[in-house]
Parts: sequence; C-alpha cells; structure tokens
Amino acid sequence: MSTVIETKNLCRTFGEGETQVAALDQVDITIKAGEFTAITGPSGSGKTTLLQLIGGLDEPVMGDIFLSGTNIAHMSGAQLSDFRRDHIGFIFQSYNLIPVLSAQENIEYIMLLQGISAQARRERVEEMLALVGLEGLGDRRPAQLSGGQQQRVAVARAMASKPTIILADEPTANLDSTTGVALIEVMRELNKKLGMTFVFSTHDHKIMDRADRLIHLEDGVIQLDELRNS
Amino acid sequence: MLTLKLAWRNLFRNVRRTVLTCTLISSALIVLILFDGMLLGMVDAMVGGITKTLSGEAQVHKKGFRENLAPEFYLQNPDEIAAALSADERISAHASRVIVGGMIASSRNTIGGVIYGVDAESERNVSKVSQSLYEGKYLSGEKREILIGKLMAELLEVEVGDRIIITAASVDDNEIIQELFRVSGLVEFGQTEIDESIAFINLDAAQSFLGMQGRVHEIAVRFINAEDAKDTALPILKRLNQGEIEALGWPELQPSIAGMIQMTDISSGLIGSILFILTALGVINSMFMSIYERLYEFGIARAIGTTPGQIFSLVLLEAFLLGAMASVIGLAMGYFLSSYFNVNGIPVGEFEFSGVGIDGNLRTELRSYQFIAFPIYVTVLTVIAAIYPGIFASKITPSRALQRTL
Repeated sequence: MSTVIETKNLCRTFGEGETQVAALDQVDITIKAGEFTAITGPSGSGKTTLLQLIGGLDEPVMGDIFLSGTNIAHMSGAQLSDFRRDHIGFIFQSYNLIPVLSAQENIEYIMLLQGISAQARRERVEEMLALVGLEGLGDRRPAQLSGGQQQRVAVARAMASKPTIILADEPTANLDSTTGVALIEVMRELNKKLGMTFVFSTHDHKIMDRADRLIHLEDGVIQLDELRNS
Repeated sequence: MLTLKLAWRNLFRNVRRTVLTCTLISSALIVLILFDGMLLGMVDAMVGGITKTLSGEAQVHKKGFRENLAPEFYLQNPDEIAAALSADERISAHASRVIVGGMIASSRNTIGGVIYGVDAESERNVSKVSQSLYEGKYLSGEKREILIGKLMAELLEVEVGDRIIITAASVDDNEIIQELFRVSGLVEFGQTEIDESIAFINLDAAQSFLGMQGRVHEIAVRFINAEDAKDTALPILKRLNQGEIEALGWPELQPSIAGMIQMTDISSGLIGSILFILTALGVINSMFMSIYERLYEFGIARAIGTTPGQIFSLVLLEAFLLGAMASVIGLAMGYFLSSYFNVNGIPVGEFEFSGVGIDGNLRTELRSYQFIAFPIYVTVLTVIAAIYPGIFASKITPSRALQRTL
C-alpha cells in the first residue's frame, strides 16, 4: 500500500520564552492508504495539534508533512485551501455543519467549492446520504437532526469531495457511547468499502478498539505505535 | 445559487439585527429622497418665483439695457424677433414690453418706480400679472388704465379708481413728460420689491407716452420645457444672441439665484455624504457583529477548503442583499412620502428667500434618478462598507477559529 501521510521531524511549539511549550516534538509517522488509525493520548498530549498540522490548518515550526508525496509544510494559505478542499476531508467534534444550510446543502457546499456541476452534486449528495444511512433526511437543517445524525452528515460531507484522507478530531466526544460507536462503525464500514484512509483522535477505549492502528502521544512525543485487528 | 442561498439565510440568523440595520439603511435612503425632493421643490419654487412671476424664462434685450434700464436701449426690430420666437416650436409664449423708470405720484405721495408697458393678452401667457390681480380689473386696452402693486397703493395712499401721474423721460429727446392714469386694479405678487415699485400700463399707451411707437425694450419668453432656458446653446437663443441683441435664459439673467441653486446641489451632496458615512458605520458595526458570531463557522468553512476570496465574496454578497433589501423598502417608503408631500406640501410658512417669495407649502419634487440612482448608491455603499469586515473575515485562520476542536 502506498504512503499517504508522512511526517518527518515534526515540531510545533506554542508561546515564547519561558512560557514556550512543545506541543509536538520531532514526530515521525507514516500512514499507508486505507489505514484506519486512531491517535490517542491524554488532554494536551498533542493529538489535535498533530491533526491540525496533517490537515494543513496549522504550520509546523520545523519538519515536513508529506501528503501523497506533496510537502504541505511550507505551502501558502491559498495553496493550502485548495489542497484541503481536494485532498482532505474533515470531521470536527461538534457544531460541524453550517446551521442555515440543510443536510444535503452542507454536503453539496464542498462540491460547489470544487466547481462540480449541479447535476453531479445532486447525485453525489444522494449517494453520500445513503452511505451514512440518512436517506430522506437531506432536507433537514442541523438543528432538526440528532447529534449522531449531524456527525453522519459531517462524515458524508467529508467524503463528498472524494478526498485522499479523512481527519477527525474526537468525532464522538459529544455523542453518547452507543451513538459514538455507531458513528465509528459507519466510518469503519466506509473505510473498508471505499478504501479511504481515516485518521481520528479519541479518548474512548471502545472507539480505539475499532482502529487498525493506534498511535499514542504523550507530551508531544509518540509513546506507542501499534497495529491492531489487521 | 447555493452561495446566494447561504448569504440570504445568514442575513436572517439574527432577525432583530438585520431589521435594525435594514431600517438604518432604508431610513438614510428615505431621508435622501425626501431631502432631494425638498431641495428641488425649493429650487423650483425659487425659479418659478422668478420666471413665472414676471421675468419669464428668458428675455431678449438690446445689450446694455439691463445695466440701468436706460430707455434709449430699445429693440429696433421687435416684430422680426417676435416672429422668430413664434416660429420656434420650443417656445410656448412671448410678450413684448416697454420698461421705464419714473416718478409715480398720487395726490398725497410720490415714489420712484418702474413702469411696465405690457400687451395685456400675451402677458397672460408669460407672467402672473393677470393672476395676481388683488382688486379691481385687469388691463383691457384702455389708454389710461394702470395696475399697481398693493404695497405701492399703500405708499401712495390710493385706491382703485384714484388718479396717479407718471413722470418719465421721453426716449428720443430725453424730455420730461407726464401722463395721467387711473388705477384700474391692484396686484399682489407676494414679492415686496415688485409689489412696492412696479406699475403696469398698456403697451400702446406706454409706446405713445414715451414716443417709441413700434419699439419695445424687452421680449419675455416662456418655453414649453422650462429646462430649455438653462441651455445656452439652444438654437433660438444662439440665433437671437447676435450683434446688439442679447437673448438670455434665467440663469444668466439671475446669476445670484443660479449660484444659490448650485449651493443647494452642494448641500444635497454634503447631507448625502454625512448620511452615507453614518450608514456605513452602522453597516460595518452590524457586519462585524455578524462575523464575530460566526468565527467558528468561518473556521470550518476555511478548513474544508473555502478560500479567503470566497469568504470575502460571501460577506460582500450578504451586504449586497442587505443593501438591496433596504433599498427596496426605502424606495417604496421614499416614493410614498415624497408623493404625499408632492401633493400636500410641507407647511413651512410664507417667507421670502433672496427676494423670491415662497408660499406656505413646500412641495417635494419627484425625479426618476431619486428612485434609480439613489437606491443603487445606497446598495453600493453598503457593499463598500462591508469591504473592511469582509477582509477581516477572509483573514480568519482556521486553526485559531477552531480552537475548541480540530
């Protein structure tokens, strides 16, 4: 399997002088296409920072980030916008969706940014809603959906642009455990069915158990990197 | 379409704020329409006060006559000029006049004044002399009849039917001549200067009295479209404006009033600018509040690939929709109010401005540009005011906006 994510000597610090904190310290990871990887660790361990750097939402102070062979560490803001739009799908913890757009419009929005035709967008929206089990709910606004349904819409949106990788930062954090596990099952199924690469952070052991690979971070340093269930 | 839908729905996230901002913008437009309508109404009243009262919209004289009303500066060929004016399709009416300064004396008092010899019939279509009749009867062609202003009658202490004597200099030999007239009517124009100092006699009587048969000092002109009087390049004016003859529109005849009108244009622009600045500040404030409320959402939008330019465009599109919506409301309200005041007038009391009387009701004037250009200005201004908030929104970095999560 080809490498889709590779970080080399990745460092990120916050603050200056005596208050400077190393959020990530010389992190080297390699993730292959189709992996279903969980990043774990206590609060402040650097999970979110790592996902932000891989997703091109933040810049490292040192090191390189290769996504499908392209180094995004030194891209300009506009280049990163285009790269994120075409190669990365994001699922956020909560308040993921644009509240004034319906579920299908939220999914359609990213394809609009990609310049996909209206007809193709509509077809793909239907396909995505079916994949996440939300047929018939496309017209509902986020406020009319449950938390689990909203996160499924977020998953559908993340996949609609046909990205290379999907990054999710504690996507189940605001869901009850049953709904959280159900969401991860949806993600897992899509990962197996479509071969899409998922990288997500979590505290929850039930969620971790569904991952192929666990990367455990503490104080910005990788403490454990193990393959599971594969 | 989806972007338009998004912008439109974003506007109504906070209905109260949108309604308030919309009210601010539409109020500015309403004030602008009304203020411009009032100024135009005032200008029209002032110009009408000059052109419709006595002077006409344009006048033809011998050059030099206007400086001191010297009687020897008469038009040599008034019939030719009158024929040319009659043949021009832009001109609705013209009236020939003899004008001379003289002493007007009653049995009790004597005052200096200006005597207008007018053709009773053609004067009806050019000036308000006949309409200003306050007491007695209008000129009928009788040799000794004279109309005087109500204020002049008070100064001379005469009434209708009383006799007055006019003393003037004859045109050809400059001899002092006198003629007896009988007051046939009193006129009131509402302008002190005219009501105190002008008397009207028949044109024939004036020509005979002053020894200038077939000659006149002035031909007053009225156009079908009053705006033509402002056009110095108008063919009929250009044609007549040759040699010793001058044919001038009212802006050249009354430069002080033309200057006043220019001043009203400046004040209109000034008020418009102040309104625009105040409105712009309101719009900027409102857009910033809206952006701050949606920082996290902008973070998400940026994270999933929305470019800074697209965020900027979204903010500007929201401002455009807000401005357009407010303009439609302001336009409708402005039209309603301006139409109402156009019919009923704004009671301002009677006053005289620069020697021109304004009656008690100031009527707003409606012009198409008020309802086409002004709403466009207001909408464009709203969009311009959103540029700064738009730049701010476009510079939001996803990592900072998304601090709560990824």
